[in-house]
Parts: sequence; C-alpha cells; structure tokens
Amino acid sequence: MDVGTISIVLVLGLIILLAIGMPLGFASAVLALLVMVMKFEPGLLLNPLSFGEGLLTGRPGTGPLYILTQKIFDLLTEYVLISVPLFIFMAALLERSGIAKEMYSSLDYWLSRVRGGIAIVTSLMAVIMAAMSGIIGGEVVLLGLIALPQMLRLGYNQNLAIGTICASGSLGTMIPPSIVLIIYGLITETSIKALFTGAFVPGFMLASFIILYIVIRTQMNPDHAPLPDPKPGDPTGLQKLGLFGAFLSILLAGVSALLLLRAAYFTVTGQNQNIDESVDPIFLGMQQHLPYLAGYLLAGLALAFLVFGRERVRVGWEHGKGLVPPFTVIGVVLGSIYGGISGITEAAGMGAFAVFMIALFRGEASIGLVWDSLMRTLRSTGTIIWVTVGAAALSGAYTLAGGPRYIADLIVGAEMPTMLVLLTMMLILLFMGAFMDWVGIVLLIIPVFLPIVRAMPIEEIGIIGQLEPRFVAVWFGVLFCMNMQVSFLSPPFGPAAFYLKSVAPPHISLTDIFRGFLPFIGVQLVALAVLLIWPSIVTLLL
Amino acid sequence: MEQKTGGLWEWLVPGALLVCAGWAVWHTPAYILDFIPPENQSLQDQMSELHKRKDVTPGLGGVFGGYADFLDWLALVLIPILFAIGVRTVNVAHMEFQNYRSIDRIALFFGRITMIMIISMTGVMLYEVFLRYALERPTLWANELTLWIAGFVFLLSGLYAMQQRCHIRIFLFYDMVPRWAQRLFDSVWAALLVVFAFFLVFGSFQQVFVIKFYKWEMFGTAFDPPIPATVQPAVLIVVVLVAIQAVLNLIADWNLEPEVHTAADDFDEDELEAIKRSVGAD
Repeated sequence: MDVGTISIVLVLGLIILLAIGMPLGFASAVLALLVMVMKFEPGLLLNPLSFGEGLLTGRPGTGPLYILTQKIFDLLTEYVLISVPLFIFMAALLERSGIAKEMYSSLDYWLSRVRGGIAIVTSLMAVIMAAMSGIIGGEVVLLGLIALPQMLRLGYNQNLAIGTICASGSLGTMIPPSIVLIIYGLITETSIKALFTGAFVPGFMLASFIILYIVIRTQMNPDHAPLPDPKPGDPTGLQKLGLFGAFLSILLAGVSALLLLRAAYFTVTGQNQNIDESVDPIFLGMQQHLPYLAGYLLAGLALAFLVFGRERVRVGWEHGKGLVPPFTVIGVVLGSIYGGISGITEAAGMGAFAVFMIALFRGEASIGLVWDSLMRTLRSTGTIIWVTVGAAALSGAYTLAGGPRYIADLIVGAEMPTMLVLLTMMLILLFMGAFMDWVGIVLLIIPVFLPIVRAMPIEEIGIIGQLEPRFVAVWFGVLFCMNMQVSFLSPPFGPAAFYLKSVAPPHISLTDIFRGFLPFIGVQLVALAVLLIWPSIVTLLL
Repeated sequence: MEQKTGGLWEWLVPGALLVCAGWAVWHTPAYILDFIPPENQSLQDQMSELHKRKDVTPGLGGVFGGYADFLDWLALVLIPILFAIGVRTVNVAHMEFQNYRSIDRIALFFGRITMIMIISMTGVMLYEVFLRYALERPTLWANELTLWIAGFVFLLSGLYAMQQRCHIRIFLFYDMVPRWAQRLFDSVWAALLVVFAFFLVFGSFQQVFVIKFYKWEMFGTAFDPPIPATVQPAVLIVVVLVAIQAVLNLIADWNLEPEVHTAADDFDEDELEAIKRSVGAD
C-alpha cells in the first residue's frame, strides 16, 4: 500500500480509536501494528484467513514485527527517560512538604504594601516553583489553596485572582526543568540541555509579561487590588528595604561560604589540579577562585553586621528564611545541569534528595510521606511513559513506511508561505490542546510537524533576526511549550480551570474561572507572537 | 474500612522479593544450564563459562548435581512464596482505585514492587553521584543498574496504571453516548489490545526468547548486565499482562454507572487532602 493511503487510514483510525475512549498509548500501539500490516501484508486485512502466508506473518517469532519490540526496548533503555519518574517523585515530595507555604509567607511579608502585592507574590512563587520542578496541576492546586482565599479576603478582583493563579501556575512546563521539554527532546532527538537553555528567556519573558500586566492593571484600577490595612508596628517600605538588604548580605555570605568550602575541598583532595586543556575547569572550584570567594564571604559578613546591624539581620533573616529552601533546590537542580556536574537524570535525583533532606530538617519527612510520594510517582509514570511507549512504536512503524518524508514533501510542495504554514500549525496545536493532554500532542503531532518545519526555508522563519538551522528543533520545542501554555487555559477544556475548580470556593463557577483567564490568554498570545516574529530569542543564551 | 498503608510489612515483602528476583535473574545462566541445557556443545561451554564469570558465590558448589547452588535454589523457591504472601497482604491505599476485585491484587502487588524499585533506583543513582563527584571513584555498575531497574519500572508502572484506570484517555465523545455504547466501545478497544499483544508476541517470540533470553545477551560493557536478555522478554510479558488486565477491567466495570470525566479527575480526594495539610489549610 502506498504511503498516502496509509497516512489517511492512520489519521482516521486515530480519530476513531480516541473517540471510543481507547487509552492514547494503546491506540498508538494498535495503529503501529496496523501500519505494519498495511506496509508489509495488506492482504491480511481483506482476508484474515491468509494469516501465515505473507511477509509479516510468514515466519513466526521473527520478521518485521520484531521492529516494534525493538523500538519499545530502545525507548525503555533511554537514560534520559529516567529523569521523568525522578522529577515526578521530587514534585510529589515537594507538594507534601510545607516548603511552599513558608515561601509564600516570606514573599508576602516583603511585598504586602505594594499595590497588587499578593498577585505579584503568587506569580513570583509560581516562577520559583516552576524552576524547581516541571509539573503543572499540583502547582495550580497549591496556589489555589494558598493564595486564592487570601486574595478574595482582601477584596481582590475575582477575575484577576483566578487568572493570576492559573496563568502563573501553568508556567511549570515552560521554565526549566520541564517534563514536556524532556519528552520533546527524547522524541525529536534534540539536546535537552539546549532546550532548557532555550526556554529560559521565553519562559521568564512570559512570567514578566504576566507580572507587568498585573502591575499595570492594578495601577489603573486600584480597586481591583485593595491594600491590606497596615498593622501598627509594621516596618515601612524603606525599613523593609534595609531588612531585605541585611537578608541578602547574609545570603551572600552563606553562598560564598558554601562555595569556598567546596573549592577548598577540591583543593585539599587535589581534584582541581592537573586539569589539562581538554577538561573544562571546575566552575568556581579552582584554586584561583579561593581568594575571591573568601572576599565575598567577608564582604557579606561585613555588610550584614557593620552596615545593617545585628537587629536588622535577625528580623530580615526571620522573614526571609522561607526563601532559602526553594532556592537551595533550584541551585541543586539547575546547578547540577549547568555547573557541568551531572546530567539531567542525576540532577532530577539530586533534586528529589534535596527536597527530602529539607523536609527532614523541617521535621516533616516520614516513611509515610515517602510511601505516598512513591505511589503518586508510580501512577504518573505509568500514564506518561506508556503513551511514550505507544508513540515510539507508532513513529517507528510510520517512519518505516516513509510517512514523515511524505508529509514534509506534501506541505513543501504546496508552496504555501512559510509563516502561513507555521500559523496553521499553531492553530492546530491550540485546537488539539483543547481536548488532548500535552503528552499526546508532543508524541503524536510533533513527529509530523517537526520534519515540515525542518524542510521549510529557514530564512523565511520569523521576521526579525535569523535562526540558525541547527537550532530549529530547539526553537520549535519552545514554541510548542508556549502553545501549551495557552491550551492549559483555553476554554472549554483547559485543564488549569478544572484544577482550580477543585479547590475554589463553591460560588466560583467554571464559567467565572474561564472569564478570568481571558486577559491572561491575551498576554500568552503576545508572548507566542514574540517567539514567532523573533525566533532567535531562544538562542540568546545558547 | 480505613487502613493505613505504607507500614513496615509493605516495604519488606516487595523488598525481599526484589532481592530474591535480582539474585535469581543474575544467576539465570545456572538455571538455563540445569533446566534447559543447550544441545549444542559449544553453546553449552559458552554458557557455563558465562556462569562461572557471573556467579556471585563461586565457592558454593551446585546442588542436585547441577550448576545452581544452594542460594540460587533458595531464591527460586522464595520468589513464588513471597509473591503469594505479597498478593494476599497488599493493602489498597485510599488514593487508589477502590472498586477492585481479588484478581486485581496481582497488578497492585506489581505496583508495590515497582515502588520499591523506584526508590532503589534513586538510591543507586545518588550513591553513584556521591562516589563520582565527591570521592572521584566512579563505579562501573551504578549507571547500568539504574538503567536496568528503570526498564522494569517503566514497564510495570503501565500494568499498574491499567489496573488503576489512569491511562490517558479522551472522554469527550465517550461521555456523551449511552452506557450500552460505552460497553461496546470498551469491548472493541480491549479486543484490539489483545490483537496487538498477540501480534507483538507472534512477531518476536523467536527473537526475544531464543536469541536474547536463551543465549543470555548482555549489554556489552564492563559491568555487563543482561539488559537485552531480561528487558525484551519483559516487554512481551508485560504487554500480554496489560492486555489481560484490560479484559479483567472490562468485566469488572461492566455494570458500573456512567460518570462524567474532567481534568480534575487527576486529583483525587487524597491528593487534595495531602496538599491541604501541607499548606495548613482546613
């Protein structure tokens, strides 16, 4: 059978199987089998009795079908894939510890006198949590539980409160580390580290757009975000700045003390000596760094105790220490990836360990906590990995039949303007995102879309700046993530709304929630447009 | 009946089973030589050479006149016993699918084993990170052991997810049709899954069980774990188990009332309670 027919049957089959409620992974696996049959032994479909005569079924126990087993096996022995259960494990531990609550109180203290303060705190907290793990859902629920009651109590505009929580809570997939990007990298064979680096600027751009929107909206309509009544004895803005400065200098001293110890350890054990040209020097861990680190330590201590004074340091630390655990986790995870210490998988394991240790210090860790988190990890791993397994089989079979090549030729042959093709893709992704999980989209649609994007004339992508050919996959991955941001919020099936609904007060209906999303969807579309118009934004840090 | 899960017993049984299974898998060449010895002399020699190289306890002589020693036999006997105990004593947690039947306990216990595998995999990885970066004495085995365990984690978590009905599905159309149509749909896709499992096994059993397993194909590295020899058979076995579980689910859910699904289903009550506790909300 020719590849055109196979493709059409595949699309129809997928629609039918998904409509009857077949799990995504199994539907893909069955279609992989169907593609193999159509490619090697189409006679079997018309005459099942011919079983055992053709190319596919002629030799029991071996033959083309073994390719499917081989594809599944290859995926299962992919080292990077291990980071998925580990990141889930880390997020499960994180959700069950009180780290988030304390971070919120801490941020709230510093920003309580700013117009729209709690909304900004919510966004900042979402960004920090996004940089710790890459799971949404948990994040929206957490913010909904912590921030929503407080904003409503203070008389914040309900739409503003809802939109802030969900739009910021969805950032988890956009800011590294993100499971969406890990799976995307695996399926498209793109460097996951490059994807993480590429997503940094767009991710923070989106976050700052959201915060900017909150600030502008609350400045224009102060009644959307009333200020809390000042408590007597509260420090004023200027005093707070002093306290925060004291806190920062203590932080500076602490971080440089840790780095100093690390560099000293490397020096004592001799790990940073005899490093020749071929090996990268250890980041901030070489002998010549020692004096600088010691200098920073002294400067931090001097600032804290001589300039700000002991009392300020005490109060500042009291209200700032909630920020230390999350930044430690971020430091461990991102530091492991970018400090050249280890790969993504080890970073995920280290992150889980760091969260566990913090929970231990806070007296929250228990055997029961680990058991619960393991069970949660098991559930989520099963659902995510098996969609990946099914899709690996399907994409193996479809590639064997020449599918991706065929589709790319089809689109390129149609000679549509590049940007129009891209816009069409965005529309399809947004549409699919309305009723399909991101895992399904990344595994079923991206393998078809990416070859098309790769085949397009690169100089026609974007309007400002020129994208390098080797970064096309990275750019498209980030673009895809941005798309998913919109689909998390878009009615009628945006999952963020349902997550929030499960913890919101009963008088807030789904319609109310989606109404609150509208301006934030606008903000996300602006960020999406920036990525489309200026694609080389992803290569700023690469 | 409210039962707290995660007690000591629930760690011990799967943990012990994992140790026995690990021991048995590592010494599989001995079992192959004892139970299904190759007829070809050179293959026989290769396998016994392999056995000698991989035996953890070369000092112990084989019992019953074979290659497998006392510990190998002990592990082999303990595996079914521990499995039976584990299946009988598995406690269904509050967050898990409540409408289970006794046959589902098998999948649930596989889930417990997988949980222990996840934590051991994490432990092995952290141990390696510590050795490599703090002491600069990397091991040869830790990364490959992680990879090996992970293969089973990925496979078995799918079986568990099947029993828990938490595989990703699209309910948009499914929720709109009457219950008899839903039953028809469920039957159709379960049947298709069985067909897929049949074809997958039919198309690769020779390759998997004879070439990979029987010849005990290894990873070809210094530590040389038998990853192809164990994970490829596991792929076929677990796919078959998943297909069987799909049929079991179909039977178990036949008389259920229809319900409407939303994205909020990802969060069950228990999950919400846990998060609420952590933020100190009432």
